[in-house]
Order: sequence, then structure tokens, then C-alpha cells
Amino acid sequence: MTQRLTIENITAHYGTTKVLEDLSLDIAEGELVSLLGASGCGKTTTLRLVAGFLAPTSGAITLGGKDLTRLPAHKRDIGLVFQNYALFPHLSVADNVGFGLKQRGIARDTRAKRVGAMLERVGLSHLADRLPGALSGGQKQRVALARALVIEPPLLMFDEPLSNLDAKLRIDMRVEIRQLQRANGTTSVYVTHDQEEAFSISDRVAIMHQGRIMQLDTPEVLYQRPANAFVARFVGFENLIPMTVVARDGETATVEAEGGVRLSLSSGHFGAIPDRFILASRADGLAVSDETNDGIPATLGLRTYLGRAYQYQCETPAGHLLANGPLGRPLDPGATAKLVPVPEQCTILAPEA
Amino acid sequence: MTRSVHPALIGLAVLVFIFLVGPLVIVVGAALSDTSFLTFPPQGLSLRWFENIFEIAAFRRTIVTSLQIAFLSTGIALVIGIPAAYAMNRYRIALPGWLSTLFVLPVLVPELVLGFSLLKSVAVQFTVPIYISLVIGHTLLVLPYVVRVISASLANFDFSVEEAAISLGSPPLKTFFTILLPNVRSGVIAAFILAFITSINDVSISIFMTGPGISTLPIQLLAHTEQFFDPTVASVSVLLMVLTVAVMAIVERTLGLTFLAK
Amino acid sequence: MKRFAGWTLASPAMFVVVLFLVLPVLATLWTTLTTPDGPLATYLAFFGSGFRRTVLWRTIQVSLATTAISLVIGFLTAYVISRAPGWLKSILIIAAVFPLLTGVVVRSFAWLIILGRNGILNNFLIGTGLTDEPFAMLYTQGAVITAMVYLFVPLMILTLAGVLESIPDELLQASASLGATPRATFLQVTLPLAVPGLIVGAVLVFTGSFTSYATPQLLGGESVMMMGTLMYQQAMVTFDWVSASTIAAVMVVITIAIVLVMTRLARRLNPMAV
Repeated sequence: MTQRLTIENITAHYGTTKVLEDLSLDIAEGELVSLLGASGCGKTTTLRLVAGFLAPTSGAITLGGKDLTRLPAHKRDIGLVFQNYALFPHLSVADNVGFGLKQRGIARDTRAKRVGAMLERVGLSHLADRLPGALSGGQKQRVALARALVIEPPLLMFDEPLSNLDAKLRIDMRVEIRQLQRANGTTSVYVTHDQEEAFSISDRVAIMHQGRIMQLDTPEVLYQRPANAFVARFVGFENLIPMTVVARDGETATVEAEGGVRLSLSSGHFGAIPDRFILASRADGLAVSDETNDGIPATLGLRTYLGRAYQYQCETPAGHLLANGPLGRPLDPGATAKLVPVPEQCTILAPEA
Repeated sequence: MTRSVHPALIGLAVLVFIFLVGPLVIVVGAALSDTSFLTFPPQGLSLRWFENIFEIAAFRRTIVTSLQIAFLSTGIALVIGIPAAYAMNRYRIALPGWLSTLFVLPVLVPELVLGFSLLKSVAVQFTVPIYISLVIGHTLLVLPYVVRVISASLANFDFSVEEAAISLGSPPLKTFFTILLPNVRSGVIAAFILAFITSINDVSISIFMTGPGISTLPIQLLAHTEQFFDPTVASVSVLLMVLTVAVMAIVERTLGLTFLAK
Repeated sequence: MKRFAGWTLASPAMFVVVLFLVLPVLATLWTTLTTPDGPLATYLAFFGSGFRRTVLWRTIQVSLATTAISLVIGFLTAYVISRAPGWLKSILIIAAVFPLLTGVVVRSFAWLIILGRNGILNNFLIGTGLTDEPFAMLYTQGAVITAMVYLFVPLMILTLAGVLESIPDELLQASASLGATPRATFLQVTLPLAVPGLIVGAVLVFTGSFTSYATPQLLGGESVMMMGTLMYQQAMVTFDWVSASTIAAVMVVITIAIVLVMTRLARRLNPMAV
């Protein structure tokens, strides 16, 4: 049992502060979508709205065609996994897992069977009678997961479920979560501030900022082709160079950056070049060369060894940039060189407002 | 949404708060009454019962005694209680567990029993003057508050800060005053206030420690209430409430009131 | 070195408590065991006296009633406080703290004005024509219980508000997300988690009531004598110190027994402490 989640034009306030603005999100059946962003970006608010702990100012939330917007939390039938697990400290592991079934009026022996099977799946059968206080962080997380899964909800939501675990366990658990989610095919919303975690686990990721979704895409697209400057910075594009076209000649455009730096770019390599744009790339999008004349003139600073290349801190008329140079020709600090954009590693973005 | 509470419960809570605050409002009203008997709502407003407090010598005397005893016992309790609380937090491992039990004993033993025992053993058997016995009794009464509140604020104190100061050349005793005390300042203030209020309101110990010319305000109030049923007691009560409000205002400004709820 | 420093700092307070509390109280208890008539004579006399048994029984009844009423009122009020928005919460806590900081004499005195023969309640009842004659409400068990509930409810509210505050919101949200109605969440999550607090509150109120003096003295007088007032009377009016010591011993034993048993129970039932 799995259903489509639709969030339509949701606006939400805490008191008089607007925390979500006209947010829409459509999650397909069986899909896992992460909400990714810094604290205060609205990701947890979105989750709380869907869970029913917060009422939106306007907009609608539907799950499998059923309108949830005004439904109280306990009638929504959503499996929730909390950051701090939120296990009931007075109930045994088995009773924690069975809590939701009990609320649904399921008979004791059926309940015991389903709880037993669920504990088996998460590998905690031997701890069924323990109290949560006696468990390790990873075990608590598994109980929380089992408790949310056993009610077979049409929607699962995770609120930073791994942030209280150590690094090694975090990686193991995220694989486990993904496997369980895949096996059940349950539509899922996963809130996290950890980019690696979001990219590794999700079908799609929504990068959020100031109550809005900045881009919703597959991890591959987000990583390679961010849609705007915010997302570009977020996924680690260090070089964002604002540029203006000053002349066009067929496929070639002459562009000017700050400090009077001029470059020729070919739309054959870079795609359509608008009149004003941002040339965005990671360090590998700018190649250090002391053998060419067409490039951004730079004075090289600190050189660091990356294994596959050298990376240079560069001072240019267009500002501080990061660029990679070939291993065969290490250049020393103070040397001058040209930085040449590498088309495959660069993206052209709309200028910032 | 999960915060919703059944309206019947809210109604009940409102009644409870009327129950809590109402009687005090009534006392204030009675104190302001112009009549010579206790009544509410007041018939004619007057402050003459407040003046009356200071015309009765017993009230004048006991107010002074109560303030003296409260300051003395709170002061002594702080002087002996702060080092004790410090020792129990800093040297927890080196000290036996029963020590902390010892310091809560004054709460465990009924005050009446403590008062009576002090009268019997200290005041009568060893003929310690009543006034000093009172100070001793009140010191014991407030000591647990001091130890508990200071311990609570020391529990959050990182003692390595103290070691850092000593390693930088500050002598231990000076470190105590310049590093430790400022860090538990709010705890000391809270302990002082709780102790002071507890002392000034005490009945069960002081009731055994009355002697020629010596008594505390609550005991005098009790005696006056049993003999005369006039608004003087109400006006003294109002004075005490004003004192309490003043103290609470200080707490509010220095620590925030929810502090007291801990 | 550490041991020495620790003992040195703790010793003044230790000295005061041992010398002025432990020894005098032990002396009081000792006198009850060393009467000329044998070690248990004074206790046999205490429990042999119908009047004293009545006083003990009445004290237990009044304390139990006070505890039960305070528990119910205190818990429900604390629950409402814990659910209230921040600003209201502070106001309500202040409203609960204020009576607590006002002396027991003042607070008992307020009920004298309310319950007296010409008191507010009687005036109100006569004024509205509900009765012609004033009720004799003072010096009854009901008056003492009412005033004691008034005395102890704030303590209960503060204790329980603290306990309810410490229950994380996530637990209640988790409960709701698993399909529990607000009622089910209250009964299956909030209430069980509050049990240790309820026990602590009950112990505070029971021992407080059981050993109280000013309230039964003012509102109960001679006709509703309780352990505290009886002990005072024996000690300071009839100067029968052996008898007073016996009452003291009974109070100490009952209080400490209840505290020890109940706090142990509370600790065992406290799942948060694991």
C-alpha cells in the first residue's frame, strides 16, 4: 500500500513569521524525496505540516487523493521516524512497536505476530522485552523504524533520523533505511541537512532555502547542473563569475567579467549564451595554463595536492577563484597564468537578482 | 494542534486559579476595610489597620526579630552550605553517599519534631539562649534549600575552568571567589531568596522558641488571630505579601520566574 | 588530598546538622524508650488511649484526603499549564508560585475570613437566601482539609508541571502519528510518564499535611486536633515531654517510612532514569 503525496501552494506561519511560501511538491508512489537545506529553511516545517502538527495558512495536502489538510494528526496514518527516536520510555521494545497497532484495535495475538515479524526484519527480536533506555543509538533507531513501518503506512516520513548516530553507523543505517523503503515500496519524505546523505538515498532531492524549494531534481542533475546560483553554491560550485556579452560573432561570444576580463566562449561548447549570465563551476571547471593567451589572468596562490590534479588559490581581476592544474607542471605561488573555462565542467546560470 | 486541551479542563484550571488567588485578594480587601471586624468586600477604605501594626509593640518587636533571624540564619546557611555543596560536587567520588542524605535530613525530619527537640536539648538542657536557639533552628531549616540550589547550579559548572585559573597562577582561595562564585551567582541569589522566605514564614520551629520578649512575626500573628479577630492580621499579611512581591520582582529581574519552578 | 579538601569544606555544615539536628532528634526518640516503666510503655499508652488513636486516625484521614484532592486538582491544572502557550504558562506559574511564597499563617488566616460564622461564605449564602442560619464551617474537618488543599495545591502544581514539561513533545507527536487519539495519548503516554512525579508530589503533600501545625491550629482548633497540634499541646501546655516525644517519634517513623518506600517506588517506576 503506497500512495502519491501532493503538496499544493502551501504557505505557513509561526506566529507572524512566514516560514513557508507557496510551496508545492508532488511525490510519486514509492518515491523517496529528500528535503535538504540548512536549519530554518522550512524542511522540518514542511514535514510537520504533512504530519499534522502544524496547520498551513493556505494550500492543500493530499495523500492518495484524500485531503489531509484539516485532518488531525492521529487520523493521518503516516509513519514518522524522529530525530531523537521518540521511543516511549515506559514501554518495552515490543510494546513500542505494537503501539500503533494497538491504537488500530488489532487483536493481541495478531499484534504480537506482526510485531515479532517486524522485529525480526530489523534484527531486534532478542531485545523485544527491553526498555528503550537500555538500547544503543543504532538499536533505538531500528525500533523507531520498526514502529513506523509496522502500521504499513501509505507514507513514511523521516526527520533527520541519523543525525544522532556516529559516522560509521550513519552510513550503515541509511543503506538499511533505503532497503526497507524499497522493499515496501512506501512513498517517503526524508528531511536532512546532510547533502551526502540526501544524494545517496533519494530518488529526488528538494533543496530548500527560506521557505522555498530552490530546485527539485535527481541527485545527478543537482550535482552536475544546478539550476541557479544558490543551488550551485550549495552543491559546491566555488567559482561563480558574473559575465556580460559585449560582442557576438556566429557561435562565438565575447564576454566580459568584472575587472575588464574578456573571454571568448563558443555556444557550441557551452550551449546558449544569454546577454547576462553567471559562469559557474567547481575548481575542475577552470584549467590553469601558462601556455595560452585566452583566459582569465590570475596570480597563483597556495597550491594543494589533490591526487588527480593540483588545486590553486587564484587572485584574478574577477575575484578569488579556484582552479586545477596538471600534475606534470606544478607552478609556484606568485606565478602568473591564465584560467581557461572547461565547457563540460561549467554551467551557465541566470544572474542573481 | 496536538496542544489542544479539552474545554472542561480549561474551565477547571480557571476555577483552580480563582481558588488560589481569591483568598489572597480577600485578605487584601479585609486589610483595607474601615471596620473593626473582618469583612469582605471592605466597607469604607482606610489604612488605619496598617498604622495599627506599628502601634502594637509586639508586632514592632517581632517584625524586627523575624528579619534579624532570617538574615542571620540565611547568612550562616550560605557560609556553611556553599562549601558543602561545592565539596559534594567537586569531590563527589571522594565523599560517601550518606553525606548528601545528611544535608536533606532537615527536610525529612518534621519541623515540629526538630523544633521540639531543639527546645528540649539545646535551649533547656544546655541553656542556650532562646534567640540563639532560634537562629540555630532556622539555619537548619534553610540549609537544605541552600545546599540543593547551589548544588544544582554547580552541576552545570565545568570545574576544569577552575583548574585553568589555578594553572594560570591564581591561588585556590582567590579562584574560589573570582571564578567559582561569579559562575553560581544566580544560584546564590535563588538560595538566598528561598531561604529568606522560608525563614520569615516559619511557624513549626519558631512555635517552640518563644521566650520572654522573644517571638517571631508568624507566631505573633497566630497568637493575635486567636485572641482578636480584627483586620490587623490582614494588614500584616498584606505587608508580608508586598514583601513577597518585592522579592519575586527581584527574582524576575535577575533570574526569570520560571527559575523557581525548577 | 581531595578527600581531605572535601571533608574540610563539608565539615562545618555536617557539624551543624549532626550536633543540632541528628543528636537532639535522637535524644527525643531515646527518651521514649527509656521511661521508668520500660521501653515500650509510652507507646502502649499512646496506642491505648482512644483519644490519641482518634487523633492519629484523623490526621491520617485528613492527610489522605488532602493528598488525593491535591493530586487530582494539581495534576489536571499542571496538565493545562503544560499545554498552554509560553506567555500564559509564565503567568500561570507565577500565580501558582505566589501563594507558595506567602506564609502558612497568612494563607490559613484567609480561610478564617472566608469560612467564619460571619465570614464571606456565610454572608453570601444568607444574602442569596440559600440559608437563614449561618453554617458552622470553622473548626470542622472539612475546613482543615479545604485550607490544607489550598496550602498544598501550588506545590503539587509546580512539581507536576515540571514533570509534564520534561515529557518531550516528540513522544506526544509520535503517539499521535501512530494513530492515538488525544485521549489515548493522555492515558497511555502522558499519565504513565507522570506517575513518578505524582508519587513525589503525593509524598510531599502527605508528609506536609501529616506534620502540619498552623492550619489545624487555626481552622481546626480543639475540636479537630491533629498530631501536630496534639504534640504542641503536650509539649507546651501540659508540659508532658515524654508524651510529646512519643508523638514526635510516631510522626518521624511514619514520615520517613513513607518517604523511603515511596521514593524507592518512584525511582523504580521512572523509565526516564534508565
